[in-house]
Amino acid sequence: MNILLTGASRGLGLKIAEHLLSSGHTVYGVSRSKSDQLNALQEAYPDQLQFAAYDLTDASNIKTALFDELIGSDIPLHGFVNNAAMAYDDIITNLKVEPLQEMYQVNVISPFMIVRNVIRHALLHRNPCSIVHVSSISVHTGYKGLAMYASTKGALEAFSKNTAREWGSRGVRSNAIVAGFMETDMSSTLSAEQKERIYRRTALKEATRPESVAEMAAFLLSDKAASVTGQNLFVDSGTI
Amino acid sequence: MVQELQNIVNTVRGNKGLDPVAAIGDETRLREDLGMDSLDLAELTVRIESVFQVDVFEDGVVNTVEEILAKIGEKK
Repeated sequence: MNILLTGASRGLGLKIAEHLLSSGHTVYGVSRSKSDQLNALQEAYPDQLQFAAYDLTDASNIKTALFDELIGSDIPLHGFVNNAAMAYDDIITNLKVEPLQEMYQVNVISPFMIVRNVIRHALLHRNPCSIVHVSSISVHTGYKGLAMYASTKGALEAFSKNTAREWGSRGVRSNAIVAGFMETDMSSTLSAEQKERIYRRTALKEATRPESVAEMAAFLLSDKAASVTGQNLFVDSGTI
Repeated sequence: MVQELQNIVNTVRGNKGLDPVAAIGDETRLREDLGMDSLDLAELTVRIESVFQVDVFEDGVVNTVEEILAKIGEKK
C-alpha cells in the first residue's frame, strides 16, 4: 500500500512510519523537518520512504507540494494517517487568538484539505482508500488546560464520521483513533505530577503505548478493517 | 475539446453502470441529462482536472456542458 503520513519524523508518527515500512508498505512522510530517527528509517528503507518537508500552517500549497510533487498524480494512494498536530494548552481565560488560529490551521484546516485531495486522488484512480485520524482522549474526558486542543480533535472526529458517511459508497473509509496520553513530545509540557494524575485515571494505570496506537493505525489502513468505518477506536489504557 | 469531455463523461457514467451517451452539446445538463449526482460530479471534476489542469468547480457550481467548456477555455 501507499500511505501518506503527516508528522512522520517524531513520536507516534515515527512509530507508525516504522510499522508500515517494516510491513513492506510505501510511506509518503510529511513533517516540518526531517529528524535523525527518520533519516535512519530512510537509510533502512530507501525505496519505500519518500519525504517532503512541509509546514501545515500553510494550507494553500497542499495540493502542489504533497499531491503533485511528493506523491504524483500517477501513483494511487491507499491511505492517509492524519497524525501531525500541535498543542496549545492553557486555561480558557488566558486564550489568545493567534496561537489558537495556528493550532486550528495545523490540526484541523490542513488535515481537511489533505482529505479533500486524498478523496480526489482516490476518485481518479478508482481505488479503495482508508483515512485514519489520530484523535485524543481529551475530547471525551476533558482535562484542565486542554479545552482548545481537545476541540481540534473533536472537530476531526466529527469530520471523520461525516467523511465515512459521505464517501463510503466510493470505497473511502474513515476512522479516528482516540489515543490516550503517550510519553511523546506532545505531552512533554505536562509535569510529572500532571502525568501521574492522568495515568491514575486509566484502567491499566500507565501511559498509552505508541506501539499499540501504531498497530491500530496499521489495522485500520489494511483490508482486515474493510468493514470498519465511521468509528472512534479507543486506544487509551482504558481511560475511565 | 468536446470529444475529450464526452469521453470523460462516459468514463464517469460507465463507472456507475450507465451506458455511454452518443453526443453532448452546450445545453446538455450534467445532472438531469447525464444522470450525475454530486459524487459523480466530483469524479467528473477530478478527471477533467487531470486532462485539462482546470478545476471547473473551483468557483462554484457548474450545471451545463457549455459552462464546463467555458471554464476550460478560460484557463487554456
